[in-house]
Amino acid sequence: MNATFALIGNPNTGKTSLFNALTGSYQYVGNWSGVTVEKKVGTLHHNMGTLVDLPGIYTMNPISADEAVVSNYLLEEPTTPVLNIIDTSQLKRNLHVTIQLLERNRNVLLCLNMIDVANERGIYVDNNRLSSLLNIDVTPIIARKEQGIDNIFHGLNQLHKSTTPLVLYYGSIVEKGITSIEKKLSDLNGDINTRWLAIQYLQGNRQIENKLSSSNCEIAKIRDDTEKQLQFKEGNITLAYHIMNVRETFIQSIVDQVITIKKEPKVFMSEKIDQIVTNKFLGIPIFLFLMYMIFMVTFNWIGFPLSDLLDVFLTDMVAVWFENVLAILQVNPFIESVILEGIIGGVGGVLVFTPQIFILFFCLSLLEDSGYMARITVVMDRFMQAMGLNGKAFIPLIIGFGCNVPGIMAARSIEQERDRLITMVMLPFMSCSARLPVYALFISVFFKENQALIALSLYVLGIVIALLLAKILTSTTFKKEKSLFIMELPPYRMPQWRTLWRATWEKGKGFIRKAGTFIFGGSVIIWLLTYMGPGGIDVPMDESYLAQIGAYIAPFLAPLGFGTWQAASSLLTGFLAKEVVVSTMSIIYAAPEVQMQGLLAEYFSPLTAYGFMTFILLYVPCLATVAVMKQETHSIKWTMFAILYGLVMAYIVTFLIIQCGRILGIA
Amino acid sequence: MNIAQLKENEVAIVECFSTVDQLIKDRLMQLGIYPNQEICLLRKLPFGGPCIIGTCGQCICIRLYDAKGIEVKKK
Repeated sequence: MNATFALIGNPNTGKTSLFNALTGSYQYVGNWSGVTVEKKVGTLHHNMGTLVDLPGIYTMNPISADEAVVSNYLLEEPTTPVLNIIDTSQLKRNLHVTIQLLERNRNVLLCLNMIDVANERGIYVDNNRLSSLLNIDVTPIIARKEQGIDNIFHGLNQLHKSTTPLVLYYGSIVEKGITSIEKKLSDLNGDINTRWLAIQYLQGNRQIENKLSSSNCEIAKIRDDTEKQLQFKEGNITLAYHIMNVRETFIQSIVDQVITIKKEPKVFMSEKIDQIVTNKFLGIPIFLFLMYMIFMVTFNWIGFPLSDLLDVFLTDMVAVWFENVLAILQVNPFIESVILEGIIGGVGGVLVFTPQIFILFFCLSLLEDSGYMARITVVMDRFMQAMGLNGKAFIPLIIGFGCNVPGIMAARSIEQERDRLITMVMLPFMSCSARLPVYALFISVFFKENQALIALSLYVLGIVIALLLAKILTSTTFKKEKSLFIMELPPYRMPQWRTLWRATWEKGKGFIRKAGTFIFGGSVIIWLLTYMGPGGIDVPMDESYLAQIGAYIAPFLAPLGFGTWQAASSLLTGFLAKEVVVSTMSIIYAAPEVQMQGLLAEYFSPLTAYGFMTFILLYVPCLATVAVMKQETHSIKWTMFAILYGLVMAYIVTFLIIQCGRILGIA
Repeated sequence: MNIAQLKENEVAIVECFSTVDQLIKDRLMQLGIYPNQEICLLRKLPFGGPCIIGTCGQCICIRLYDAKGIEVKKK
């Protein structure tokens, strides 16, 4: 069966959990408004077709960029059946989306999720009554525990395409407006429901307005007239409010019939936790403490010991094994050199840091899945306000610590274009996990004593530079607009191991895949550039092409303390992906990691090593980040700005660190 | 009086949004905060930080400025 279904619902209703349960694909689950930043497609179990996961919405009328994705989808796919998931304990609010879906068509299966949470709160829903009132199938489920999933498959099979949509009566004035608009839309071909379009248009849905722009001036006039007549009759209310109110009344009548409340609300666990973590005095210290713990776990406690084990395994077992096999096969020295120095050196040098990256992704997933991420925005909003931004910008920034690319995508959930743009431009300064191998390498050589502290200082430096940029932009270019902030705080939920593992694996996998493709290819090319030179092949390293390229740039880097061709070419290759810096160094300093550390100590001092790490942190976003930034900002100007600001800041800051360090007498 | 003038854990009924930004107003409506709705001020963060308000078992966080723009009457 090749059917396609769309999954739609409010934010924080367990949509992504349900998606995982239904499709079995490794989908990433989050617990803050706006984790689903773009439409994702999964293959349903039982060969049922495909399921499209759409961002969470409170109503059809989009405010932020990710919400617009849903309106657009409903416009473009007028006949796709919809799986509507709702949070049973928030039935009233959630039904607004359901009603608007039903006004479009009745090809909807309603899932009442989290019935266990609702029952705990003393809320009981009569499914059968709800089903007959709305005239659609209703399935109670607990997505996190995968209960009731089979009923959904059964329900999806039963969906009928040709059922009549729900019709609510909006009062004579509005009805007249709807009919007039529908007439204007009569030449609109396709399966789309014109009444639904008209209502959405009257309600001020911007996405629908764009769609209907051809006949805009006529219907715009109808809308204005309708609103005027309505205000004449009802007093000072807007059309949008009136329409919402009619739905609200209808929903209230349904809720009164289907809900029984069996006990009085008490103080819930979530509220108790919130009293501590969003406490007046403890909020920010707790947040900083948690961040510090994440660094300690990633770098000191678990990350490095594991990384060392992996290193021993790679150099003592894998590399030796390859050496032996190649010796037995008696391959020619060129091939042997490519494999041992190029591939194993380059790729292995990066793979060693897999543990740290997985641990970091695990910690970030834990923040998201538990619901704490939303609290960070609350705690940090006052501070972000001082920077001219809002607390919501913090979420993409923290996601950016994992990887800048999803960070930039996550910025879509920020309602204002201004804040979104600034957040995106700030993102490259969030030290992503790809920069981590570089730090890990240098820290393990020069800063054995204070590993986590040195790493933390770099992350903080990145944040400071980013905030400086935000402050500059909000007090110059974007001075006129002010930032706004509103955030729903979802209840805390016990993170599930399976979800965490899936999210960690999904993101960490990308790192390994990159090692197998990008870094693999890059390593071979870099190795070739060191192997060949103007003088032929198998030249000494100092006479290779790579040395020559690096030598052009090296003089510019001399004031920064690392004016060697080796450093220059590593930085150059780092534009592809930041980990490649480590691969390049592994190849240039021509040794497996253990000996390379000794070599590094000859070329760098602790001060220049710190300078080099600072430069890596700031200098340019990687290729993938530049591409996604161009795509999301729709602006070459801003993309170029992000690159140039990075380069300039990297140069200035590194220069200051090196020069101040020298003045202070640090080698 | 407005939300910002409530004490913590005090319950009140929303009367109108006077100076609230349109975008915030739209979002509040979507989240179920509109005139005649019962709300509770859960917490006010220090240094003019945001306010957390509760309604129908959900928590919503808004800025102090917007909280001052929502007129309420005590229950």
